[in-house]
This record gives sequence, C-alpha cells and structure tokens, in this order.
Amino acid sequence: MSALAAKAGSETPPRMTYASRVVWTRRGVIAAIAVFFEIYGRTFADPNLFSPPSTIVAALFQKVFAEERIRDAIWITFMEVSVAYVMSVVFGLAAGLLVGWTRPGRHAVYPIILLLYSIPQVILLPLFVLIFGIGPAVKIAFGFTHGIFPIMVNVIAGMRNVSPLLLSGSRSLGASSIDVARHVYFPHMVPSLFAGLRLAMTLTLLGVILGELYVSTTGIGYYTKLFAERLDPAPLFALISVLAFMAILLNEVVRVAERKFTRWKR
Amino acid sequence: MTTLSNDKPTAISIRNVSQRYGEAGSSGAVVALQDISLDIRQGEFLCLLGPSGCGKSTLLNIVGGLFSATEGQVKVGDKIVKGPLPADISFVFQESTLYPWYTIRENFDVAFKFQRVPRNEWKERTASALQAVGMSSFIDHFPNQLSVGMRQRVNLARGIALKTDIILMDEPFAALDEQTRMVLGEDLSELLAATKKTIVFVTHSLAEAVFLSDRIVVMTARPGRIKTIVEVNEPHPRSPDFMLQPRFSELRNELYALLRDEIRQAIATTGGSVRPSGD
Ligand SMILES: Nc1ncnc2c1ncn2[C@@H]1O[C@H](COP(=O)(O)OP(=O)(O)OP(=O)(O)O)[C@@H](O)[C@H]1O
Ligand SMILES: [Mg+2]
Repeated sequence: MSALAAKAGSETPPRMTYASRVVWTRRGVIAAIAVFFEIYGRTFADPNLFSPPSTIVAALFQKVFAEERIRDAIWITFMEVSVAYVMSVVFGLAAGLLVGWTRPGRHAVYPIILLLYSIPQVILLPLFVLIFGIGPAVKIAFGFTHGIFPIMVNVIAGMRNVSPLLLSGSRSLGASSIDVARHVYFPHMVPSLFAGLRLAMTLTLLGVILGELYVSTTGIGYYTKLFAERLDPAPLFALISVLAFMAILLNEVVRVAERKFTRWKR
Repeated sequence: MTTLSNDKPTAISIRNVSQRYGEAGSSGAVVALQDISLDIRQGEFLCLLGPSGCGKSTLLNIVGGLFSATEGQVKVGDKIVKGPLPADISFVFQESTLYPWYTIRENFDVAFKFQRVPRNEWKERTASALQAVGMSSFIDHFPNQLSVGMRQRVNLARGIALKTDIILMDEPFAALDEQTRMVLGEDLSELLAATKKTIVFVTHSLAEAVFLSDRIVVMTARPGRIKTIVEVNEPHPRSPDFMLQPRFSELRNELYALLRDEIRQAIATTGGSVRPSGD
C-alpha cells in the first residue's frame, strides 16, 4: 500500500521528453565550444590568427555590417549564389529529365555526365576568367557549373528502377506517356532530386566563393581574403559566420520544399 | 441468383494465341503459350489454374492488351485487342499497383482521370468501393501506411470502382492471409451476382478456384496449353456452406489430380531454376 503511494508520488515531476533532451544537449555542446574558444582566444591564441567569439560578434556589427562596401559585398554574393542556383535547378532538372526519360538515353549519356562530374572544376577557373571577365558573370557561371551536375546526376539516377508493375498498372488504366511521366517517373524521381538539390546548394556556394577568392573585387570571398592578408581575424570569422548563415538559410528553403513534396516518404 | 448457361454471349474470345519470349530458335527462347483458344462468356467467373511458369500471367496480359501475342488474336466484344482497353478492362495484380506517392483518395482520382471518368462521379465511386472492402477510414492514408493485406483490399476496391465489365485478376489474394482471402472471395462472389461482371482470375489455390469459379481452365506445364476445362455448377452468390458439400471436395480432388502430373513435369523441365527477372 505505502509502496504504491510512494510510486505514484515519484511520477509527479514529469521527465524531459526525448525531443527536448536532444535540444538541450545540442545547446550545451554549442555553449561549451563557445566557452572553450573564448578562453583559448583570450589566453593562448595568436591574435593575428584567431579571435575569441565575443570579439567576432563585436566585429560583425562594427566592422562588417557597419561598412557599406561589405554590406554590398554580402548582398552581391547572395545574389550570385541565388542566380547560379536557380539556373542549376532549372537546367539541371531539364537536362536530367531529357536524358533520364529514355533507357538508351540513360545508358548512353549518363556515364558521360558522371565522368564530367568527377573532374575537379577548379582547374577550369582561369579559362572561365578569360571567357567571362572578372565581374559577377564569372562567379555565377562557376557556381552554375558546380551546381548543375549533382542535380542532373540525381535526376537521372532517380528515374531508374521504376517498378514495371506500376508501369503496366498505369497503362492498363489508360495512362498516356505524358501521364506516365507526370504520375510515375516524376514522383518516383523526387526524393532523389532533393538529395541533388542539397548537394547542389553546397557546391554552388563553393563555386561562387572560389570565383571570388581567385578573381573579383567584391563579394564575401574577396573580403575574407582581404582580412586574412591584413591579419585581422575578427571580421574574417564574422564574415565566415555570415556565409554559414547564408548556407543554412538556403538549405532550410530546400528542406521545407522537400518536406512538402515527399510527404509519402514519412 | 444467376445460373450460367452456354448461350450467354461471348465477352472475350481468344483464338490460337501463342506467345514466345526471345528470338525463335535462339537458346534463350521460351514458348510460354501454345495455341490457346477459349471463349469467355459474359458474366462468367473464369479461373486459370496451372503450374508456376505455365503462362497464366502472360495470357492475362495479352487479353488485357498490355502486350500483343506473337501469334493469334484476342477479341473483346467485337474489338480486336491491340492495346489496353481501359473502358472495358481493369486489372488487379498480385501486388498493389497503388502509387506510393499518392494517398488512397488521390490514387483513385488519378485512375479515374486516366480512364476519363467524369469528375463529379469520383467522390461517390471512391467512397462506395472503399466501403465495400471496409477501408473507408483509410482514405487519406498513403499506401505505405497500410499493411500488405489492406493495400491489396484497396487495390481490389480500385479495380471495382472503375466499373469495367471485365476485370482481370492475377493472384489478387496471394499476399493475404487465408481468412481475409475467404471473406474477400465471398464478397467477390456477391459482387459478381449483383453486377454480372466478367472476371478472369489466376490463382494457385484450389479451394479458391472451386469456390469462386463458374469454369476452371486447367493448363499444362510450359508451353502452356489448355489441358481441360472443369465446370462448377453452382449459382452465385455462394455461401461458405458450399465448401462443406461433398461436391466441393470432389472438384478440389479432381483438380489436384489434374495438376499433380503437370507440376511434376514443370519441376522436372525447369530443374528448379528461377525465372528470369523483368528488367
Ligand atoms: N518478360 C519475359 N521475358 C522472358 N520470358 C518471360 C517473360 N515473362 C515470362 N516469361 C516466361 O514465360 C513463362 C510464363 O510466365 P508467366 O509469368 O506467364 O507464368 P505464370 O503461369 O503466371 O507463373 P506463376 O504462376 O509463377 O505466376 C515463364 O516460363 C517465364 O519464364
Ligand atoms: Mg503469374
């Protein structure tokens, strides 16, 4: 009797749910890293190479956001990445669908695309500069050639292995080839497309930043190079955080779209 | 009460159909069907029974126009079958052909759209077909959220909702447990009595064949030919009592005797090898 009562009593403070435990653990880890680098930054670190997080945050407002040229540079990078990404998505999807649509197309062309994809494109950057000059065009072009490949590859890969049973089923219902494309091949390909979209986002960002580091007189890449050469780490790290934030933001857009379009996967 | 008589009009006429896979004379060539001729009457429940690999699915796909036979011809009514006839024939396959990316409701809608059913009928047809198989409450679920058996019930409901005169079923109950098979079998028998549909049904279950069929076509081992046709004279709808009658087990035993030799032969010729996969 008393044991029962004791047991009932012990249940009253509800335990943390699994989700909230995950969130708090994550926050704890982030805080620990911040504290570690704060201490390290203030004690042992070479101030020419490293700044504590508090200084970085201060620099973010005083040296990065305060300067109009740098604000413009962030905006330019954002625009270049967005344009390059949208172009990658549109052309990558179109090319992928075109190649992936027929079996001979897949068999003949897919290996060529895979081969091209495996070439490190950075080797072509000087050539790109010759063609596109040093304005935004070269950075958009370089971001685009980085982004389009993972999308094409994943779209084509996603159109393989469609269940023959679904195809016969659709045909017996009277579906035309357009119907089959729209209701069988396309939805079958969507999860793979999103894997490609995420990868393409990272690579487009990489392409644009590489372009800015190598040529260009503005953009996030240009200013990080500048701050690094001036041995001024605080605004350098602040700019890196801005870039990271941009990557997270764009990735989140893709993630929301993915949740919407692959409801059936969960 | 429907008793089947021989003077019913012919729904499907199969004439000298042969099917060969692979180039003639090549080592990989397989003769799946050899010279099949058969008239299927309107409103009849016809069962195809035969050893695995004898060409039952092949015959069903040819009748449904999913591919054309190497020789011979099939007529549905007075149309020569050259491709799918979605207005006349619907299929129910062994595995569900529901699209995993659409909910049950969307699956029905897409099927209606393909088949050009007027939009104002969609809702009502979906509801009553799902009701018939007891799946109404799952209308907004995705197929992956259902068990295999539930999926197949929905698949069956979709076949019914299309309201074609002919339904071709390729082992539709193979993935279901025995009790569900029997219940759905009874439902099917009732449906047949009520709607006069023509059903061609492939099964490996002797009891199912006897319980459901008006006629059972027994096929030989590959190359598939018609060995004999067994008549089951019992009106639809059939009640489970039919299974308790001596006639039921007599028919069942007769079928088993007919099939046993063919199955032994099928095992001997293939040497137990596995059939090639589709892709
Ligand atoms: N696409 C194909 N290509 C080559 N051979 C095939 C193909 N489809 C079927 N076959 C062959 O045709 C024969 C008949 O196949 P089918 O699927 O019609 O048999 P079945 O009677 O339905 O068998 P089961 O009872 O196992 O379903 C088999 O021996 C098979 O090897
Ligand atoms: Mg079969």
